[in-house]
Formats: sequence, structure tokens, C-alpha cells
Amino acid sequence: MKFKSLFLIALIFNLSILFSQTSEYLIPKDAVTVFSINNISLLQKVSVDELISYDFMEEVHQELFDGSTTGKTLKDLGLDFDQKLNVFYGKGLKNEISGFSFGVKSKEQLFTVFDDFEMLHKDFHGAQVYGSFFNNLIIRDKSALLIRVEPTMEFIDQMTDSIWYSRGNESPFDYVPQDDGAIMDEEIYDEAIEQQIFPEASDDPNVKNYYELRDSVQLVIQRNQLDVILHELLEKKQNLIAFDPRFGEQIQHNSDGVFYMDNSRNLEKASGLWYFQTILPTLYNDIQELYTGNVILGDMYFKDNSVEFVLDARYGEQLGSIYGEMNDSRFDKNTLKYIPQTSTGYFTYNVNLRKAYEKAYEVVMPILMDEKNAQIAMNVLTIELLNEYINKDALFGTYKGSMFGFFNGIKKIKTKKIEFFYNEDTFEYGEREAEAEEDMPIFTIGISIDRDDIPEKIMKHLGRLTSKIKNMGDYWRMDNAILDAAPVFLINKNGLLILTNDEDLAVNHSNGYGKEKLAKINVKKAKKSGFMYGAVDIAETLNRFPTDILSPRQNEMIQSLKGKSGKLELTSSETTKSHTSFDINYVYEGKESSAKHLLDLINTIYVVSK
Amino acid sequence: MLKFIPFLFFILFSLSSCIEIVDDLSLKSDGSGTFKYTVNLSSSKIKVNSILALDSIDGKRVPNIDEIRQKIEQFVKTLDAQYGISNVKVEENYTDFIFKFQCDFTSVLTLQDGLKQSIFILSKEKSIPQLDHNWLSWDGNKLVRSIPEITGKKINEINNSDIELLKKGSYTSITRFDKTIDKFENQAAQLSKSKMAVMVKTDTYRLKENQDILENTIYLGLSKN
Repeated sequence: MKFKSLFLIALIFNLSILFSQTSEYLIPKDAVTVFSINNISLLQKVSVDELISYDFMEEVHQELFDGSTTGKTLKDLGLDFDQKLNVFYGKGLKNEISGFSFGVKSKEQLFTVFDDFEMLHKDFHGAQVYGSFFNNLIIRDKSALLIRVEPTMEFIDQMTDSIWYSRGNESPFDYVPQDDGAIMDEEIYDEAIEQQIFPEASDDPNVKNYYELRDSVQLVIQRNQLDVILHELLEKKQNLIAFDPRFGEQIQHNSDGVFYMDNSRNLEKASGLWYFQTILPTLYNDIQELYTGNVILGDMYFKDNSVEFVLDARYGEQLGSIYGEMNDSRFDKNTLKYIPQTSTGYFTYNVNLRKAYEKAYEVVMPILMDEKNAQIAMNVLTIELLNEYINKDALFGTYKGSMFGFFNGIKKIKTKKIEFFYNEDTFEYGEREAEAEEDMPIFTIGISIDRDDIPEKIMKHLGRLTSKIKNMGDYWRMDNAILDAAPVFLINKNGLLILTNDEDLAVNHSNGYGKEKLAKINVKKAKKSGFMYGAVDIAETLNRFPTDILSPRQNEMIQSLKGKSGKLELTSSETTKSHTSFDINYVYEGKESSAKHLLDLINTIYVVSK
Repeated sequence: MLKFIPFLFFILFSLSSCIEIVDDLSLKSDGSGTFKYTVNLSSSKIKVNSILALDSIDGKRVPNIDEIRQKIEQFVKTLDAQYGISNVKVEENYTDFIFKFQCDFTSVLTLQDGLKQSIFILSKEKSIPQLDHNWLSWDGNKLVRSIPEITGKKINEINNSDIELLKKGSYTSITRFDKTIDKFENQAAQLSKSKMAVMVKTDTYRLKENQDILENTIYLGLSKN
């Protein structure tokens, strides 16, 4: 009798879960990156306008950004703050999905903002489906999903070409002007397109030109893909929780937020691997297998004036065996005496490249050897021969794998300039060389080395070729090495090879900073950390960092953190064969709300992981 | 080419903190003369090199040195073909980033028209309103000069955040004649000992604050050397 009662209670409990599933059950299985915030009451006061200004909202924000959000906070949106807010993104070979799922307290309030959405299905497996252009809003019980599905251009082109040519059409492009290197603006480009590139529209409105066909193809594919996703999600209940139990387990954590990124699926969709996928499918499958289980899971905790991320990078056995060997390395204490206390951003990275190489050779070579392809066979032979002939003691003695680096602000460095001088009688002018000063970001990077004789040999011979390289005793000086204007210094002693543009380090501290080195507390943290440690004073480093030298993507990342104050610290745990843990601790100052910091951080991680 | 001229302005004026410009006009009594324009970026070598190493900056494509050379050559050819303009030369120094331009002209009007026309042809813009402005006028005894409106517009776009650095940039305007100068109106101008040349020099910051600072009306005497 007792057993029956217990069974009944369990059944009711399970059914109640099944029929009142919360927002996380609306995350499609195709999501590769997910940010889930448990404690969204924190976000109540965030204005909708502010929220949609973030990168992670860019795909879905268009229809929201039409004035209906002005002056409204998330609270006014009718959200249920007892449910999680889940932001997700995923890119596949055929489509890209992005969006978020959330709890709904008041549908009426919700539709004061989502006022452009029209109902598409009143009852689609228990949910209402609304649409507005490429965005769709799905409401099931007390949860909602805002999703944007966009087919990839490659897939659309492939389908369009297939239909276009199968109908007996010839190439739609009459003439493609040669790129003469001219820098064209939009207007000229448009003219060129109108005049030469675009296929002309047909007189018969029922006959489409290439681009009209492509638009139709895009629309149909988009609808089909959305249908597939909605069927999987709502009918078959194939959401991410069901698809990946690791996410299912992670989302149950009692933390303030949860992070998930499936690296193995990122690899699967990496467009750079198309060659392997199409030409060497078995090799591709083997590489894919190597990456199986490669996922990053994380928890986020809000504390007083700080946000902590605890990330766990998990991987499969084979990859784990390589990482395990790679991280079997002793920390090189020497590195820390070269990081000055004044440094506002520094890192240490401690790996054993020799062991990692040996293990990778052991794991990867059999995969390559199995491939029956002439080119791969030749590559295998080359690798085997190099492995036999190359002096690995010398190679890995020169670069053992451990390194450190730091940013030491912007300093004035001396350069030469040409200045004009004037004859007072006639104001005719001549030129003369004069000293000048320019601002230069000061970077230092160093590696641990056993074979210091090898770089010494290289420098000695290069020094014979050019007067720009000089042996200064404790260090080597390379004039005009940076941008043909500023010198670089190479310090090769104490088991370290250090490259820097900091003259003060080379001239006055070639044996380290002595008392001016990193404070003991920081030294201790770096030593205690696993293979990696990093610390950044955001105000002092990122706000002064010369973003000109970064790629647009790196720049985007830095920009997302600019203007903040506080400290970021990254520590890692010891690496095992199955995982490595990282801890990112962000301690902030100032009056900005925790919600603002949280959203900024989510945005940074979104930009990094996208 | 269309984006090249704005880019040149961009690169010049984003480096305005350390740019040195010498604008040197020699005028004969018959109205003909020589115009020299020198841009010296040698004190910003690192910055120029770092910009040239990029693909784009602030959404504008950064041309490589070969492209810059090509465009300058194109400009020289276009200007040389203009009525009343001859001996167009450009000296390019890509080590120190010094560019010296010079040309002869038959009158200040042909000089202005030639420059305007060349910029217009190469920019492929439908209209550049700033080019309507004349910055030189000469009546045989009196020269009125200012800076071209297009230069003034670009100077105005300079960010004020680096005032100290802006003060390090300079713009020198020299006007030479084959007669002695009787008087001039710009009180900041200096007369050469030979009394046949007048020079006004200012820093980029002051020029941004007051674009009339280089404006001058110069009256000539009767004696000719």
C-alpha cells in the first residue's frame, strides 16, 4: 500500500514537471552555446533598450527595437522572474539559430512589446506560435521562446544553384568586372551591380530571375528549418536537456547562472573543415572522434562586488591523454621575478611541450596512418622522417612550452624625427634629424629554455649580417625592430628567453626585478594555479590597451569590457585525463549594478564563444 | 580612389597630434608661381607604420604603400594635365613619412581650379561643396589667402581629447614674392629679413580653435629684386 502511494506521488510529481516545463526546456537541441541565468530578479530594473544594445541580442532585437520598448524595464515585459532566462546560439552547416527562452507571468504585458508578432499556429503541440519576419515567439504554458532561424548563405546558394541549373538556365552572371584594386564605395558598387552583375528581371512575373529565386529559396528553407526545430522541440520534446545530459545536469545546479558550450559541435560546424568533410570523410570522422566529449560547462556566482565563473573543460579520453601529458610540468619560478609589481596585466602558462608532442604523436599518427590517401600517406612519411631526424632534445630544450607575459602600460620611447629649420632672411627651409618621443605600449613575453646556446648562435650570426643587432652584454638590442622605428631587446639568461620593448627591463633588470617584482601574494596565486594563471586590472590595462593592433574580433572583445573598473583573475586547476577546471573571478568597483556587470560579462563571453 | 582621399585626410588628421605641414606659395608679379606643400609625419613613424599594418581602421580600408604610391602617381598625372599647371612633382619618403608636393602655375586661379578639378576627378564624388571655396585671390598688388575649406572641415573633425598632443602638430604658411612686402594684416605673421617673404606658423590645436588664424592679406611695395 505504502509503495503504491509513493508511486502515485512520484507519478504526479513527474507529470507536473512534464506539463509545466519551465523556460530551460524550450532551448533547442541545436544550441551550441547557452547562458542561463537563474537569479534573474537581478535584472528586473534593466531597461529593455539597454538589453537589446548587447551583442547577444543583435540577432533578435530588430523587431523589438521599434519604439515599443522605450522606457520599459524587463519587469514591464511581463517576465516571470522565478524562471531562468536562457540565452543561446548555435551555428550548423545549414543554419544559424539564436534567441532566448524565459518565463512568462503576463502575456498581455509581453505583447505590449512584442506587438508586431502575428499568430501562426494557435495550438502547435500545446504551444502558440507567433511570427514577425525571421523572428518567432513560441509560448507554451508559462514559458516562452524567442528564436531566430537563419539558413546559411552557403546552403541557400547551393540549393538555388541546384534549382536554377536543373531548370536548364545558364549562368546568371553575364559579366564580373575584374578587381583592379580600386576602392569602391557603396554607390559605385551598386551602380556596377545594376549595370553589369545583376541578372535582369524577366517580363513574365511568373518567371523569376536568379536573385528572386534565391529569395524564395531562402524563405522556404527558413520555414522548413523552423518547422523541423519546432517539431523536434515541441512534438518530440528533443530539447537541449534531453539531447545532452551534461547540460541537463548542469542546469540543475544551484548557482546564479550556468554556462554551456559544446566544442565538439563547434568543430563539426567549423567551415574550415569542409575539405576534410568532403575529400577525406574518414579522417574527418576520426578527428571528430578525437573531439568527442569536448564541452565547457560553467557555474556563475554573484557575490558582493564580484562575479565568479567556475568553468569545467571536459574532453574525451584520447584528447585528455594529450592534455594530461602536456600539463605534467613543473612551474618555472624564475618567470615570476621578471614580472614587476607595477604590471597591470600578466599571465603565466606552464606546459610540457615535449610530453604533449610524444603523446600527440602516439594518438594522432595511427589515425593518419589508417587513411588511404596518397597525400596523407606522404604527409605521414614526412612526419615520421622528421620525427626520426630532428633533434628533439634541442628543439624542446629551446622551447619547453612554458611562457609568461605582461603588459606594463604605455611608455615614451625615443625615436628619430625629421624637423624643418628656417632661414630667417628668406624663410627657405632645410631638414635636420632630431630626437622625438612616441607613446608605445610596453609588452614583454618570455619562455623557459634549457638550450640558451641556440638563440645565442642565431643572434650572433644575425648580428654579423646587420648592424641593427648588437650584443650589449646582458642582452641583445635590435634597432628599429618594431614598425621600423623602435628597438626590441632580447634577454637570454637564467633559463629564460625574454623578448621585450621595455628598455628599462633590458638595461636595469636583466636578472629580474628584485624587490620590485610581483607581490608575494600574487606569486603564491600564480604558483598554486594549474597550467595557467592570469590577472588583469581592467581600468589600467584594457582602457589603455592599444586596440589598433588587434583584429576586429579581439577588438570587439576588449571593447565589451572597456570602461569598466575592477580586476579579472583567471586560475586553472590541475589537468586530469577527463577535465580541467578554470576559475574566473571578476571583482568590480564603482556604482554600476551587478546586473550591468553580469550582462557585460555575458556579452564578453558570447563574443568570445560565437 | 573614392575612399582614398577621405582616408588620406583621416590618416593625416588622426595623426594631427604630430603632423607638420608647410604650405609654401611663391608668386611672381605676373601672377604665375610655384606652390609647394609638405607633410611631415616623421615624428609619428610608429603610429603610421602601425596603421599601415592594419587592414582597416574605423571602418575605412587601409591601403598599402604600393596603393598609396599608385594613387599619388595618378594624382600627379591628373594635376599635370590641368590647364595652367606644369612641373608637378611629388617626393615620397616612406621611411620617415615625409611627402613633398610641388607644381608651377600660371595664375592663382588656375592653381585653385587645377587642384579642385583633380580632387573632384579622383574622388568621383558628384559634388564636393567645400571645393567651391576659393582660398587665394591676387590682384597684382594684393594677395588674400586662407586655408582651403576642405582642410578646415577636416581639422574641425579632430578629436579634442588629446589637446596636449594637438599642440605639438604645426601648420606653417609661407608666401614669397619677387617684390618687397609693404604690409600685411595678420599680426601673428613674420616678415623675412629680405622683406620678400611672410610666414605664419601655428599649432594644430590653435588652428582647430580658430581656422582664420592663418588668413592673411599681403600688400606689396613697388620695388622688385
